[in-house]
Amino acid sequence: MKKYLKPCMAIMFILVLMFSFSCAKKQVRDEGVAEPTRVGAEEEGIGEGELEESDIDTTGFKEISESEEDLAAVFKDIHFDFDDFSLRPQAKTILNGVAEWLLKNTSVQVLIEGHCDERGTNEYNLALGERRANSAKKYLAQLGVSRKRIACISYGEEKPLDPGHNEDAWAKNRRDHFLIR
Amino acid sequence: MGQEPDRKNLSSKMARVISEDLEFSGFFRILDSSAIDDDYLVGLTRDKIRWDILSIIGAETVVTGGFHISSANKITAELRLFDAVQGRFITGKKYEGKIDDYRLISHRFSNEIFKKLTGVEGVFNTKTAYVKNTAGKKDIYIMDYDGSDSKRITRYSSLTLSPAWSPDGEKIAFTCYKDGNPDLYIKDVYNAEVEKISQKRGINIAPSWSPDGKKIALTLSLNNGNSEIYTINLRNKKLERLTHNWATDVSPSWSPDGKKVAFVSSRSGTPQIYCLDLKRGRIKRLTYEGYYNTSPSWSPRGDFIAYTGLIGGKFNIHIISPDGGYSQQLTFSQGNNEDPSWSPDGRFLAFSSNRTGRKEIYIMRADGTGQKRITHGGGEKTDPAWSPF
Repeated sequence: MKKYLKPCMAIMFILVLMFSFSCAKKQVRDEGVAEPTRVGAEEEGIGEGELEESDIDTTGFKEISESEEDLAAVFKDIHFDFDDFSLRPQAKTILNGVAEWLLKNTSVQVLIEGHCDERGTNEYNLALGERRANSAKKYLAQLGVSRKRIACISYGEEKPLDPGHNEDAWAKNRRDHFLIR
Repeated sequence: MGQEPDRKNLSSKMARVISEDLEFSGFFRILDSSAIDDDYLVGLTRDKIRWDILSIIGAETVVTGGFHISSANKITAELRLFDAVQGRFITGKKYEGKIDDYRLISHRFSNEIFKKLTGVEGVFNTKTAYVKNTAGKKDIYIMDYDGSDSKRITRYSSLTLSPAWSPDGEKIAFTCYKDGNPDLYIKDVYNAEVEKISQKRGINIAPSWSPDGKKIALTLSLNNGNSEIYTINLRNKKLERLTHNWATDVSPSWSPDGKKVAFVSSRSGTPQIYCLDLKRGRIKRLTYEGYYNTSPSWSPRGDFIAYTGLIGGKFNIHIISPDGGYSQQLTFSQGNNEDPSWSPDGRFLAFSSNRTGRKEIYIMRADGTGQKRITHGGGEKTDPAWSPF
């Protein structure tokens, strides 16, 4: 009988991943902002989550291209009001579709990116983007999608979809965007 | 050695650095000495200076400087400060160094002048870290407080944000997406050592060092995406949670005595500045004017908190006293003015402004005067962080 002698050393690898993002390479500009017409943030139920490191990592997710028509029709961007992270009725409709698809295609995971328009402080917008991503995650979880299949990441105002400095561009940028893997 | 044109050039460069330092401080008015024939009027030392002529033009103090270029690229400079009213020598320094360090030498003497005449440490040798956007990627750079000599510090081909200096000036904390998530790092300024100190699920952003350098206050959202303020102990990496509120809490800034933390919260409906007393656990709202007040930065003197306030559709820099009783708007420009950061003596502020059409770094005195742009060219620049002494 052969005996295998296992080495006693434990070798630790530290991998540092260099991850580059392929998003619209537009520069962020800053100009006049109108006084916000809506004031107020929605009171959210207070949930105490566990203190985890990261559950699923955010690498390896892919953009859905326009040519993947079926997927693109399901995973549309959802939009938000200024300084708000509550889900509008149209957002919920889209999320209903996303949940339905995810419940049928159970091996797929989704990454929700939370974004803001360029107005306001970068740090506050990173927090707001985080809220927006998590709003959608919570809604999908309520519809039965396992939380372990949903990752969130906030980009605040750092990656606008539309580089314009007008209401139209800002409305497009206040969004959750979906990637899958 | 050294050719005549170079000598004149270097001479006027050094004079200019010192003049601009002192002019910016707000304590001095620099007289135009070009009308006076230098050689006739002044030598380097007291016995060679024509005090009578200086008093006619109203000079109260005089700085003289001379240098000798000793060997390849080495300079020996002698700088002297005189009281022109009494014709008295106040202080003088001899510096030896490389010609390329002429700015350093000039700033050192500005500090010397400032200290002798006002009794206070000068900030003319301090640095400012900032974020520059190059084609959608962001990295951290460090430049002299006046905008010269910018050096790139990070190179991650990613988004690198919110630099914050340690109190000893040796390290910078920042947020970076290089590993796929906004994580918090600490990097030695002068060498390549980087340590990841927080990689919780969600955001790890907005670092602010405690004055004793032992903790960093930061914003985490591991609680279902709800941003809260925590501190992390740098020795054992233990977290302590400071805010417990359904609202978004972000952007902490420590008081210089380490007893309080100013931060942004939307608990009243929109983002406002609040102050947390660490010992008593009491939270007090400071800002009541305007819909959107963010980016608090506590002065090292403790007397004011600078912040960015949205009024009339524009962002401008304001200061407010820590009890909220007194506030003042400092910038009134056409563009947006954001990200205030105090000099270590609490007399000056750096900030980001797009009043010329793109975001650049500016400095000003704490009363809003002396606003001047210190960066030029290249991508947009934001998040200035003025170094400690």
